[in-house]
Amino acid sequence: MNTDKDAMLAGKARELLLEDIGHIDARVRSRLNQSRQAAVAAIGAPVRSWLKWTLLPATGAVCAAALVMVFMLHPAPGPATKPLDTPNALDVLDLVTDDDALGLVEGGDQSFYEWAAAQSDAGGAAGGGA
Amino acid sequence: MGAFVTLATYNTPATLDGDDTLLKDTSRAPARATALNQFLAGIELKAYRIAQASLRHEDDALDAVQDAMLQLARAYSQRPEAEWKPLFYRILENRIRDVQRRRTVRGRVMALLPFRRGDDDGEEIDPVAQAPSNEPSPVANLEMGEAMQALDAALTTLPLRQRQAFMLRTLEGMDVAQTAQAMNCSEGSVKTHYFRALHALRQRLGEFAP
Repeated sequence: MNTDKDAMLAGKARELLLEDIGHIDARVRSRLNQSRQAAVAAIGAPVRSWLKWTLLPATGAVCAAALVMVFMLHPAPGPATKPLDTPNALDVLDLVTDDDALGLVEGGDQSFYEWAAAQSDAGGAAGGGA
Repeated sequence: MGAFVTLATYNTPATLDGDDTLLKDTSRAPARATALNQFLAGIELKAYRIAQASLRHEDDALDAVQDAMLQLARAYSQRPEAEWKPLFYRILENRIRDVQRRRTVRGRVMALLPFRRGDDDGEEIDPVAQAPSNEPSPVANLEMGEAMQALDAALTTLPLRQRQAFMLRTLEGMDVAQTAQAMNCSEGSVKTHYFRALHALRQRLGEFAP
Protein backbone atom coordinates (compact mmCIF):
# COMPACT_ATOMS: atom_id res chain seq x y z
CA MET A 1 0.00 0.00 0.00
CA ASN A 2 2.70 2.37 1.07
CA THR A 3 4.87 1.19 -1.81
CA ASP A 4 2.04 1.92 -4.23
CA LYS A 5 1.70 5.41 -2.82
CA ASP A 6 5.43 5.93 -3.10
CA ALA A 7 5.40 4.73 -6.67
CA MET A 8 2.52 7.08 -7.47
CA LEU A 9 4.32 10.00 -5.88
CA ALA A 10 7.51 9.21 -7.79
CA GLY A 11 5.56 8.86 -11.02
CA LYS A 12 3.77 12.16 -10.51
CA ALA A 13 7.04 13.90 -9.63
CA ARG A 14 8.72 12.50 -12.73
CA GLU A 15 5.83 13.70 -14.87
CA LEU A 16 6.08 17.21 -13.42
CA LEU A 17 9.85 17.36 -13.74
CA LEU A 18 9.78 16.21 -17.35
CA GLU A 19 7.15 18.81 -18.10
CA ASP A 20 9.32 21.42 -16.44
CA ILE A 21 12.29 20.33 -18.54
CA GLY A 22 10.16 20.99 -21.60
CA HIS A 23 9.97 24.63 -20.52
CA ILE A 24 13.72 25.18 -20.32
CA ASP A 25 14.42 28.26 -22.41
CA ALA A 26 16.49 28.57 -25.57
CA ARG A 27 19.41 30.32 -23.90
CA VAL A 28 20.01 27.42 -21.52
CA ARG A 29 19.59 24.89 -24.32
CA SER A 30 22.07 26.80 -26.44
CA ARG A 31 24.65 26.87 -23.67
CA LEU A 32 24.19 23.18 -23.00
CA ASN A 33 24.69 22.51 -26.69
CA GLN A 34 27.91 24.55 -26.70
CA SER A 35 29.15 22.73 -23.62
CA ARG A 36 28.47 19.39 -25.26
CA GLN A 37 30.33 20.36 -28.42
CA ALA A 38 33.29 21.53 -26.34
CA ALA A 39 33.29 18.27 -24.40
CA VAL A 40 33.19 16.15 -27.55
CA ALA A 41 36.07 18.18 -28.99
CA ALA A 42 38.04 17.58 -25.80
CA ILE A 43 37.87 13.77 -25.92
CA GLY A 44 41.11 12.32 -24.67
CA ALA A 45 42.69 15.71 -24.13
CA PRO A 46 45.11 15.73 -21.23
CA VAL A 47 43.50 16.97 -18.08
CA ARG A 48 44.87 20.44 -17.49
CA SER A 49 48.41 19.61 -18.51
CA TRP A 50 48.94 23.29 -19.30
CA LEU A 51 48.04 24.08 -15.72
CA LYS A 52 50.66 21.64 -14.44
CA TRP A 53 53.44 23.20 -16.51
CA THR A 54 52.31 26.70 -15.70
CA LEU A 55 52.17 26.11 -12.00
CA LEU A 56 55.41 24.16 -11.67
CA PRO A 57 57.87 27.09 -11.91
CA ALA A 58 55.64 29.30 -9.84
CA THR A 59 55.39 26.67 -7.12
CA GLY A 60 59.17 26.23 -7.12
CA ALA A 61 59.71 29.96 -6.81
CA VAL A 62 57.30 30.22 -3.91
CA CYS A 63 58.98 27.30 -2.11
CA ALA A 64 62.42 28.86 -2.60
CA ALA A 65 61.22 32.21 -1.30
CA ALA A 66 59.68 30.50 1.72
CA LEU A 67 62.94 28.70 2.47
CA VAL A 68 64.92 31.94 2.25
CA MET A 69 62.48 33.59 4.61
CA VAL A 70 62.79 30.74 7.09
CA PHE A 71 66.59 30.96 7.06
CA MET A 72 66.47 34.71 7.43
CA LEU A 73 64.08 34.63 10.34
CA HIS A 74 65.71 31.68 12.09
CA PRO A 75 69.43 31.72 11.25
CA ALA A 76 71.39 28.59 12.07
CA PRO A 77 73.46 28.93 15.27
CA GLY A 78 77.12 29.75 14.54
CA PRO A 79 80.19 28.20 16.24
CA ALA A 80 80.25 28.61 19.99
CA THR A 81 81.94 31.90 20.84
CA LYS A 82 85.16 31.54 22.80
CA PRO A 83 85.20 33.55 26.03
CA LEU A 84 87.64 36.40 25.90
CA ASP A 85 90.78 36.25 28.03
CA THR A 86 90.43 39.85 29.01
CA PRO A 87 89.55 40.21 32.69
CA ASN A 88 86.10 41.10 33.69
CA ALA A 89 85.68 44.77 34.53
CA LEU A 90 84.34 43.88 37.95
CA ASP A 91 87.41 41.78 38.70
CA VAL A 92 89.67 44.67 37.72
CA LEU A 93 87.71 47.03 39.90
CA ASP A 94 87.88 44.57 42.77
CA LEU A 95 91.63 44.30 42.44
CA VAL A 96 92.09 48.05 42.34
CA THR A 97 89.93 48.73 45.33
CA ASP A 98 91.14 45.79 47.42
CA ASP A 99 93.33 47.08 50.26
CA ASP A 100 95.31 43.87 50.60
CA ALA A 101 96.10 43.76 46.92
CA LEU A 102 97.23 47.36 46.96
CA GLY A 103 99.39 46.64 49.97
CA LEU A 104 101.04 43.82 48.15
CA VAL A 105 101.68 46.01 45.14
CA GLU A 106 103.01 48.87 47.23
CA GLY A 107 105.21 46.65 49.41
CA GLY A 108 103.14 47.14 52.56
CA ASP A 109 103.92 43.53 53.56
CA GLN A 110 107.64 43.89 53.13
CA SER A 111 108.25 42.74 56.71
CA PHE A 112 106.41 39.52 56.04
CA TYR A 113 108.62 38.68 53.06
CA GLU A 114 111.73 39.51 55.09
CA TRP A 115 110.57 37.24 57.90
CA ALA A 116 109.72 34.45 55.45
CA ALA A 117 113.13 34.72 53.84
CA ALA A 118 114.82 34.68 57.27
CA GLN A 119 112.89 31.57 58.23
CA SER A 120 114.00 29.92 55.05
CA ASP A 121 117.62 30.83 55.66
CA ALA A 122 117.45 29.70 59.25
CA GLY A 123 115.92 26.40 58.26
CA GLY A 124 118.57 25.87 55.62
CA ALA A 125 121.40 26.63 58.09
CA ALA A 126 119.97 24.33 60.73
CA GLY A 127 119.54 21.60 58.22
CA GLY A 128 123.04 22.04 56.90
CA GLY A 129 124.53 21.98 60.49
CA ALA A 130 122.82 18.74 61.34
CA MET B 1 65.24 15.60 -47.22
CA GLY B 2 67.22 12.66 -45.96
CA ALA B 3 65.62 13.07 -42.57
CA PHE B 4 62.15 12.71 -44.09
CA VAL B 5 63.10 9.50 -45.85
CA THR B 6 64.59 8.07 -42.67
CA LEU B 7 61.56 8.97 -40.59
CA ALA B 8 59.17 7.50 -43.15
CA THR B 9 61.03 4.22 -43.42
CA TYR B 10 61.30 4.01 -39.64
CA ASN B 11 57.60 4.50 -39.01
CA THR B 12 56.12 2.40 -41.74
CA PRO B 13 57.15 -1.12 -40.65
CA ALA B 14 56.02 -0.57 -37.07
CA THR B 15 52.52 0.17 -38.25
CA LEU B 16 52.40 -2.70 -40.70
CA ASP B 17 53.87 -5.26 -38.33
CA GLY B 18 50.78 -5.45 -36.21
CA ASP B 19 51.28 -2.48 -33.88
CA ASP B 20 47.91 -1.18 -34.90
CA THR B 21 46.84 0.36 -31.60
CA LEU B 22 47.21 3.80 -33.03
CA LEU B 23 45.19 2.89 -36.08
CA LYS B 24 42.45 1.39 -33.97
CA ASP B 25 42.33 4.44 -31.73
CA THR B 26 42.15 6.86 -34.60
CA SER B 27 39.50 4.81 -36.36
CA ARG B 28 37.51 4.50 -33.14
CA ALA B 29 37.76 8.17 -32.25
CA PRO B 30 34.93 9.42 -34.48
CA ALA B 31 32.67 6.63 -33.25
CA ARG B 32 33.54 7.51 -29.66
CA ALA B 33 32.83 11.16 -30.34
CA THR B 34 29.48 10.33 -31.88
CA ALA B 35 28.54 8.04 -29.02
CA LEU B 36 29.55 10.62 -26.43
CA ASN B 37 27.67 13.33 -28.27
CA GLN B 38 24.52 11.21 -28.29
CA PHE B 39 24.94 10.29 -24.64
CA LEU B 40 25.42 13.91 -23.55
CA ALA B 41 22.55 15.11 -25.71
CA GLY B 42 20.31 12.58 -24.02
CA ILE B 43 21.09 13.62 -20.48
CA GLU B 44 22.04 17.29 -20.64
CA LEU B 45 18.59 18.72 -19.89
CA LYS B 46 17.98 16.33 -17.00
CA ALA B 47 21.47 16.99 -15.68
CA TYR B 48 20.81 20.71 -15.82
CA ARG B 49 17.51 20.28 -13.99
CA ILE B 50 19.21 18.20 -11.29
CA ALA B 51 21.97 20.78 -10.87
CA GLN B 52 19.39 23.56 -10.85
CA ALA B 53 17.43 21.83 -8.10
CA SER B 54 20.50 21.85 -5.89
CA LEU B 55 22.13 25.15 -6.81
CA ARG B 56 19.05 27.29 -7.47
CA HIS B 57 21.06 29.40 -9.89
CA GLU B 58 20.95 29.13 -13.66
CA ASP B 59 24.55 30.01 -14.50
CA ASP B 60 26.01 27.98 -11.65
CA ALA B 61 23.99 24.97 -12.80
CA LEU B 62 25.15 25.44 -16.39
CA ASP B 63 28.78 25.74 -15.28
CA ALA B 64 28.50 22.57 -13.20
CA VAL B 65 27.04 20.61 -16.12
CA GLN B 66 29.69 21.97 -18.49
CA ASP B 67 32.52 20.99 -16.11
CA ALA B 68 31.06 17.52 -15.70
CA MET B 69 30.81 17.08 -19.48
CA LEU B 70 34.40 18.17 -20.03
CA GLN B 71 35.73 16.00 -17.25
CA LEU B 72 33.87 12.96 -18.58
CA ALA B 73 35.18 13.55 -22.10
CA ARG B 74 38.77 14.11 -21.04
CA ALA B 75 39.16 11.44 -18.42
CA TYR B 76 36.55 8.76 -18.97
CA SER B 77 35.55 8.78 -22.63
CA GLN B 78 37.57 5.60 -23.23
CA ARG B 79 35.62 3.73 -20.57
CA PRO B 80 32.71 1.47 -21.60
CA GLU B 81 29.62 3.45 -22.48
CA ALA B 82 27.58 1.70 -19.82
CA GLU B 83 29.73 3.39 -17.18
CA TRP B 84 29.28 6.89 -18.56
CA LYS B 85 26.02 7.73 -16.84
CA PRO B 86 27.03 6.90 -13.25
CA LEU B 87 30.44 8.51 -13.83
CA PHE B 88 28.89 11.65 -15.25
CA TYR B 89 26.50 12.05 -12.34
CA ARG B 90 29.25 11.42 -9.82
CA ILE B 91 31.32 14.18 -11.42
CA LEU B 92 28.29 16.44 -11.47
CA GLU B 93 27.63 15.77 -7.80
CA ASN B 94 31.21 16.76 -6.99
CA ARG B 95 30.85 19.95 -9.01
CA ILE B 96 27.63 20.83 -7.21
CA ARG B 97 29.36 20.35 -3.87
CA ASP B 98 32.29 22.48 -5.02
CA VAL B 99 29.96 25.33 -5.94
CA GLN B 100 28.14 25.07 -2.63
CA ARG B 101 31.44 25.10 -0.72
CA ARG B 102 32.64 28.11 -2.70
CA ARG B 103 29.42 29.92 -1.88
CA THR B 104 29.85 29.20 1.81
CA VAL B 105 33.45 30.42 1.83
CA ARG B 106 32.60 33.47 -0.27
CA GLY B 107 29.77 34.33 2.07
CA ARG B 108 32.05 34.16 5.10
CA VAL B 109 34.79 36.21 3.46
CA MET B 110 32.38 38.84 2.22
CA ALA B 111 30.88 39.10 5.68
CA LEU B 112 34.35 39.87 7.05
CA LEU B 113 35.19 42.56 4.51
CA PRO B 114 34.56 46.00 6.00
CA PHE B 115 33.47 47.68 2.76
CA ARG B 116 30.82 45.03 2.23
CA ARG B 117 29.20 45.66 5.59
CA GLY B 118 27.33 48.76 4.58
CA ASP B 119 26.71 51.07 1.69
CA ASP B 120 27.15 54.80 1.54
CA ASP B 121 24.00 55.43 3.50
CA GLY B 122 25.28 53.33 6.33
CA GLU B 123 22.69 50.65 5.78
CA GLU B 124 23.85 47.09 6.21
CA ILE B 125 23.67 44.75 3.22
CA ASP B 126 21.57 41.72 3.93
CA PRO B 127 23.55 38.63 2.82
CA VAL B 128 20.33 36.67 2.45
CA ALA B 129 19.00 39.27 0.03
CA GLN B 130 22.26 39.08 -1.94
CA ALA B 131 22.05 35.32 -2.33
CA PRO B 132 20.54 33.84 -5.47
CA SER B 133 16.80 33.84 -5.13
CA ASN B 134 15.02 30.60 -4.48
CA GLU B 135 11.86 32.00 -5.92
CA PRO B 136 11.16 31.34 -9.58
CA SER B 137 10.88 34.35 -11.84
CA PRO B 138 7.39 35.66 -12.69
CA VAL B 139 7.66 34.16 -16.17
CA ALA B 140 8.63 30.84 -14.69
CA ASN B 141 5.73 31.13 -12.29
CA LEU B 142 3.37 31.41 -15.20
CA GLU B 143 4.92 28.45 -16.91
CA MET B 144 4.98 26.20 -13.89
CA GLY B 145 1.82 24.89 -12.50
CA GLU B 146 1.06 25.06 -8.83
CA ALA B 147 1.97 21.42 -8.39
CA MET B 148 5.37 21.95 -9.95
CA GLN B 149 5.95 24.97 -7.75
CA ALA B 150 5.06 22.94 -4.71
CA LEU B 151 7.37 20.13 -5.81
CA ASP B 152 10.17 22.57 -6.53
CA ALA B 153 9.82 24.18 -3.12
CA ALA B 154 9.69 20.79 -1.43
CA LEU B 155 12.80 19.62 -3.28
CA THR B 156 14.64 22.68 -2.03
CA THR B 157 14.09 21.66 1.55
CA LEU B 158 15.54 18.19 1.11
CA PRO B 159 19.11 17.45 2.20
CA LEU B 160 21.52 17.17 -0.73
CA ARG B 161 21.93 13.40 -0.63
CA GLN B 162 18.19 12.76 -0.40
CA ARG B 163 17.55 15.14 -3.27
CA GLN B 164 20.21 13.44 -5.40
CA ALA B 165 18.87 9.99 -4.70
CA PHE B 166 15.36 11.15 -5.53
CA MET B 167 16.33 12.98 -8.74
CA LEU B 168 18.57 10.21 -10.06
CA ARG B 169 16.02 7.50 -9.35
CA THR B 170 12.94 9.43 -10.38
CA LEU B 171 13.98 11.81 -13.13
CA GLU B 172 16.97 10.00 -14.60
CA GLY B 173 15.43 6.58 -14.07
CA MET B 174 18.60 5.01 -12.73
CA ASP B 175 18.34 1.78 -10.77
CA VAL B 176 19.64 1.39 -7.23
CA ALA B 177 23.03 0.02 -8.30
CA GLN B 178 23.66 2.82 -10.79
CA THR B 179 22.53 5.43 -8.30
CA ALA B 180 24.86 3.98 -5.68
CA GLN B 181 27.72 4.16 -8.17
CA ALA B 182 26.87 7.75 -9.04
CA MET B 183 26.55 8.79 -5.41
CA ASN B 184 29.61 6.83 -4.34
CA CYS B 185 27.79 5.04 -1.56
CA SER B 186 26.22 1.66 -0.85
CA GLU B 187 22.95 0.49 -2.32
CA GLY B 188 21.50 0.41 1.18
CA SER B 189 22.29 4.09 1.61
CA VAL B 190 20.57 4.88 -1.68
CA LYS B 191 17.45 3.06 -0.54
CA THR B 192 17.48 4.93 2.76
CA HIS B 193 17.99 8.33 1.13
CA TYR B 194 15.29 7.64 -1.44
CA PHE B 195 12.81 6.39 1.15
CA ARG B 196 13.36 9.44 3.37
CA ALA B 197 13.11 11.77 0.40
CA LEU B 198 9.77 10.31 -0.65
CA HIS B 199 8.32 10.62 2.82
CA ALA B 200 9.60 14.14 3.32
CA LEU B 201 8.15 15.16 -0.04
CA ARG B 202 4.82 13.56 0.79
CA GLN B 203 4.62 15.58 3.99
CA ARG B 204 5.60 18.83 2.33
CA LEU B 205 3.52 18.45 -0.79
CA GLY B 206 0.36 18.06 1.25
CA GLU B 207 -2.66 18.20 -1.02
CA PHE B 208 -0.52 17.87 -4.15
CA ALA B 209 0.76 14.46 -3.13
CA PRO B 210 -1.18 11.60 -4.75
